[in-house]
Amino acid sequence: MTFSLIGRCARTGRLGLGITTFSLAVGGRCEGVAANVGVCKTQAFPNRTNDPLGIKLMAEGYVPAKVMAMFAANDSEHDYRQIAIMDREGRIAAHTGGGCRGWAGHKEGADCVAFGNGLVGPQVLDGMIQGFMTRPEDALEYRLMRAIEGGRDAGGQGTADEHRPERSAAIKVVDRLDYPEVDVRVDVHPTAVAELRRVLEEFKLYEAFYRGRGKDPSKAIPQDEFAKQLEAKRRRA
Amino acid sequence: MTYTILGRCAKTGRLGIGIATFSITVGRYAHCAKAMTGVTISQAFANENNNQRALRLLAEGFSADAVLAQLQANDEFFTYRQIGVIDRTGRAAAYTGPGTRGWSGHVAGENHIATGNGLVGQHVVEAIAQGFLAEPDADLEHRLLMGIEAGRDAGGQGTREVHKAERSSALLVYSRNAYPDIDLRVDLHETAVEELRRVWIEYKKYEAYYRQRGEHPRGAMSQEVFMATLQAADG
Repeated sequence: MTFSLIGRCARTGRLGLGITTFSLAVGGRCEGVAANVGVCKTQAFPNRTNDPLGIKLMAEGYVPAKVMAMFAANDSEHDYRQIAIMDREGRIAAHTGGGCRGWAGHKEGADCVAFGNGLVGPQVLDGMIQGFMTRPEDALEYRLMRAIEGGRDAGGQGTADEHRPERSAAIKVVDRLDYPEVDVRVDVHPTAVAELRRVLEEFKLYEAFYRGRGKDPSKAIPQDEFAKQLEAKRRRA
Repeated sequence: MTYTILGRCAKTGRLGIGIATFSITVGRYAHCAKAMTGVTISQAFANENNNQRALRLLAEGFSADAVLAQLQANDEFFTYRQIGVIDRTGRAAAYTGPGTRGWSGHVAGENHIATGNGLVGQHVVEAIAQGFLAEPDADLEHRLLMGIEAGRDAGGQGTREVHKAERSSALLVYSRNAYPDIDLRVDLHETAVEELRRVWIEYKKYEAYYRQRGEHPRGAMSQEVFMATLQAADG
């Protein structure tokens, strides 16, 4: 049980992944997000070697469809995997093996692919893509956040009779640097998607401050002072 | 304000980091270990490019000392950084620049570095190292967590007058694979070290199950059934 969306910002070329699931600490199993290369995520019954391998293959120039074919040839249990791959040019390949449980599937949209298993139905993927497309001019991390929220609001994980909570969630966005620009996580929480929204909003308040103080420490103000300025702004708002 | 333990298990060669800080989402900076290669951290006024650069240099075969020297030669604001590097042989190199704020310093030895800034004093990093070294036969992730908790219990961040809360934390361990064995985080919390312990305890119950269902999907029990077995065992 998981629902995820890989997206690309057509304006900036930034790439990212938004994911949530019933399992714990899902953000600790998302190595396949690489700047200027692509995004690869294997879920359902995941083969953990796939995502690092997929990044290496895309870095060598293989297109997602070819990477997927190589995964299939490299894994006796490919039929139990759910995989989506997007390269830096936005090419997509997706696979939902017949061994995935519950309602499982994937769907492509503009600059994105939504994929999930153990879901209440295909409306979850539609909800994700709609969420992603709501404000295409926004920063990719917000679009990924809306995608996850869209999937949740369309029913998320479970069956018609029983909802399954999201217990962990993550968003990763890469730009040009070889570490993520945005990397926010919730590892164990009863409503992980709502909590991820809280973490993301708070991170966005600090993002420029954290980046700036590393780039030129000689001009950096203490974090206490920055936090006080934030509080003052909040009180005014 | 941050305190960190970098560690290597002499028995297995596993490498990892435990970190806690006042800043939020610290795990974003902690993509800093690589299997059979090394572990590193740049903190205080962190040069965000350092961690990946250090890992690449370690992968090419440079020693921890040589990596630290190259980071120094490449950074006009080096004196504001606090850096630790452990290579695959367990050699440790550490640096605390005079531009870091509050009480700052480190303790480095074979297979470990305890390092921090904005701390209540030297005894915090000493406690972290002692916590890490207390049970040398235990799993590395357990030892890293013991180090971080010992740092918290010794007073952690702040001054004599004002304690500074840990708002985020992370625990990361690599073994032989291209992906981590353990990668746990608390991004925004009032007591992030306690919360990291809770996350770790919860995750540990599932760890083997998550691994096995990916490696052997055929006939894997559903997570609901697995949780029922957990409850029965607790019962």
